[in-house]
Amino acid sequence: MDARPLLERIALALERAELDAVLIGNAAAALQGAPVTTVDVDFMFRKSPAGLRKLRRVADELGAVVLRPYYPASELFRVVDDAAGLQADFMARVDGVRSFEALRARATRLRLGGHTLLVARLEDVIRSKRAAGRPRDRAVLPVLEAVLREKQRQGSQGEA
Amino acid sequence: MRSRGKAAKGKRETTPRPAGLDALRAESDRHHLDQIRRLLARPMAERTHFLRKRVPGGGSHV
Repeated sequence: MDARPLLERIALALERAELDAVLIGNAAAALQGAPVTTVDVDFMFRKSPAGLRKLRRVADELGAVVLRPYYPASELFRVVDDAAGLQADFMARVDGVRSFEALRARATRLRLGGHTLLVARLEDVIRSKRAAGRPRDRAVLPVLEAVLREKQRQGSQGEA
Repeated sequence: MRSRGKAAKGKRETTPRPAGLDALRAESDRHHLDQIRRLLARPMAERTHFLRKRVPGGGSHV
C-alpha cells in the first residue's frame, strides 16, 4: 500500500499543531531506501506539557484518538483511527537515541504535498534497532546495513 | 519409445549440494542488491510503497 496519503495527512497535522516529531523505525528506513514494510508509522517527539497538548491537536486534526496502550510501563502514545486504518506511535524515548534534538538535527527533510516531514537518518534507525534488540529488529538489521553500505558507496547521503 | 535398462542409464551428473546452495545465495544477494539500487535511484518521495494493512483475524498484507 502507498503510505504517501497517510504521510501527507500526518505532515499537515504536525505542521498545523506545530509539533516537532521525527519519523523513525521501518517507515523511515523504507523512505531512506530499504526494502522493508510496516503496518504503522513511528515517531519520536519531545514529551512536555506543550508537546502533549500539540499531540492531542495532531490527533484532532487526523480525526483520531490518543491511546496509551502500555501505560505506565511505556511512554508510547498511539494515535489511532481504526476506521481509516491509521496508527501512528509517538515515543518520547527510543532505544539507542540519546536525544531528540540530535535525532532531529540529523534528520532528512522530506517534502510531501507541500508539507515537510522529518525522517530519521538510516544510521539512527540502525542504531535504535540494534539497541532495542528484539528478534524482529535483529532480523531486519542485515537489510538496513546493506542499504547503508550501498548509500555510502554511492555517496548519496542526505538526499530529500 | 523403449526405456533403457538400469545398466544403460549411467550415472547422472549432479551439482554438489553446497555449491548449488552457494550459487542460489549469491543470486539471491545479487537480486537483493538490485532491489536496493532501484529504490535508491528513486527520489525519497517515491519510496512510499511500504505500508502493510492489517487484516481481521491477524496478519497483514501489502
